Amino acid sequence: MANVMITRLTAFDRLVHLGTAASFVYAFLSGIGIAFPKMHWLLTVLGGGEFARWLHPWAGVVFSVFGFLMILSYVKDMFFDTDDIKWMVGIVHYMTNHEEKLPETRKYNAGQKMYFWITVFWGTIIFLVSGLAMWFPDAFAAQVAPWVPGMGVRDLVLLATVVHEVMFIAAGAFFIVHIYMGTLGMPGTLSALATGKVTAEWAKAHHPKWYREMVRKA
Amino acid sequence: MSYLTSGSTTGLAIRRMSATKEPVLDIKDQEQLGILVDISSCTGCKACEVACIQWHDLNPPIATEEELRENGFSYQSAPDLAANLFMLMKYQEAETDRGWTWFITKRQCMHCDDPGCLTACPSPGAIVQYANGVVDFDQSKCIGCGMCRTGCPFDIPRYDANDHPFKCNFCLDRVGNGLVPACAKACPTNALHFGTRADMVELGHKVVAGLKDRGFPNAALYDSAGVGGAGYVYALPHGDKVEHYGDLPKDPAISSLVHLWKGPLKWIGGAAILGSIAAMFMHLVTAGPKTVEAHGKEE
Repeated sequence: MANVMITRLTAFDRLVHLGTAASFVYAFLSGIGIAFPKMHWLLTVLGGGEFARWLHPWAGVVFSVFGFLMILSYVKDMFFDTDDIKWMVGIVHYMTNHEEKLPETRKYNAGQKMYFWITVFWGTIIFLVSGLAMWFPDAFAAQVAPWVPGMGVRDLVLLATVVHEVMFIAAGAFFIVHIYMGTLGMPGTLSALATGKVTAEWAKAHHPKWYREMVRKA
Repeated sequence: MSYLTSGSTTGLAIRRMSATKEPVLDIKDQEQLGILVDISSCTGCKACEVACIQWHDLNPPIATEEELRENGFSYQSAPDLAANLFMLMKYQEAETDRGWTWFITKRQCMHCDDPGCLTACPSPGAIVQYANGVVDFDQSKCIGCGMCRTGCPFDIPRYDANDHPFKCNFCLDRVGNGLVPACAKACPTNALHFGTRADMVELGHKVVAGLKDRGFPNAALYDSAGVGGAGYVYALPHGDKVEHYGDLPKDPAISSLVHLWKGPLKWIGGAAILGSIAAMFMHLVTAGPKTVEAHGKEE
């Protein structure tokens, strides 16, 4: 069993994930550089203040496109079941590396599903809509004004800015966890992003139910 | 973020800059400047507008005959402020207790004591408030995000094609050298008074008292209390009809949403990101990584 590899991500999944990853990382870092004066130096690294401000929304457009593709290709494995609720209740066992006390997980555990719904699903929609409002305030207001009586262009942009920032806080904090779990926190995971394959041991250890499903199929 | 002393050894002292810590202010001391717009003395001649265009070498938008036919003819030189038009005389008519009345108003940056543009600007030093109260942009530090107009309670900054903002700078190059701002210099009817802000407020109250004696019971001083006062102070004959004066906002104030996003949300966001990093680090050094071997042992 030592060298048996199981395919976890198709080529399409990997392409979509690399697309969201690259665009999100740029938008995340440049957004931090724009929003936090103490992190303004980040913009120098990212091509300069004006350039980073110019590329940030375009990185957002790329993220939105790949985000929608990601929602379509990943959503089938992301619906919650009763095991997920038990998993969430006992999440502390996951943090302390005692998964044996939790329900066995299928392809994605409840934490990954939450990440999908918050950062990918709502992140794609909310960052795009609030971002467009800040990018094209007048055009956006002209479209939205008939639906929201009494709201001026500036109110709308201010609201969008606050919504953008709240989404950043939720998605950004979760993103840090995601990066950790994909690298240092769970060895053997990162290479799947390039090859799409994980070892059988990895699958058995982290996603036993999914592992058995894959074995049955094989 | 950058640190700020009150300016260099020559030139104007700086009071505040965008996205920058509060500066050291004990090097220089300059009086706050102000302009009183006495609307009761204004004839709407637009000499101020011409002087502004001339002094700043502006290339203002000039409507073609076709555009005029389309938008309707007006006393106004342009429908709105523009990146190449820092001040604009606005003309409206409305019914008052004294009958059908002209409302003629000079509109430009107000030079707020608590500027919404400066509060909203994320780029260190791109917006500067000098010790004399003048608020100005430093284009070399602007990243073109457009937040200054969003934060402005008076909706003043206008952008060029590169998303860089332009507005009245209170003729900083003139007042810094002891000259009167171009508009005030040109005014032929003394509707524009230039001096220290304190003197202008005092004079404004006198003008308003005079107006009340002359049959304008609703005359009022427009002093932008919500932004801590402003460099521009208006004596309004019809203080109950503020909105007719070139769309002046009734109670100008920085939106609470700006404060929410520059204050609590920044703290929460910083704590969330740094907290996540710290938590992941703690997990790594306490629980340790989720290795395949660790799981193997338990089976």
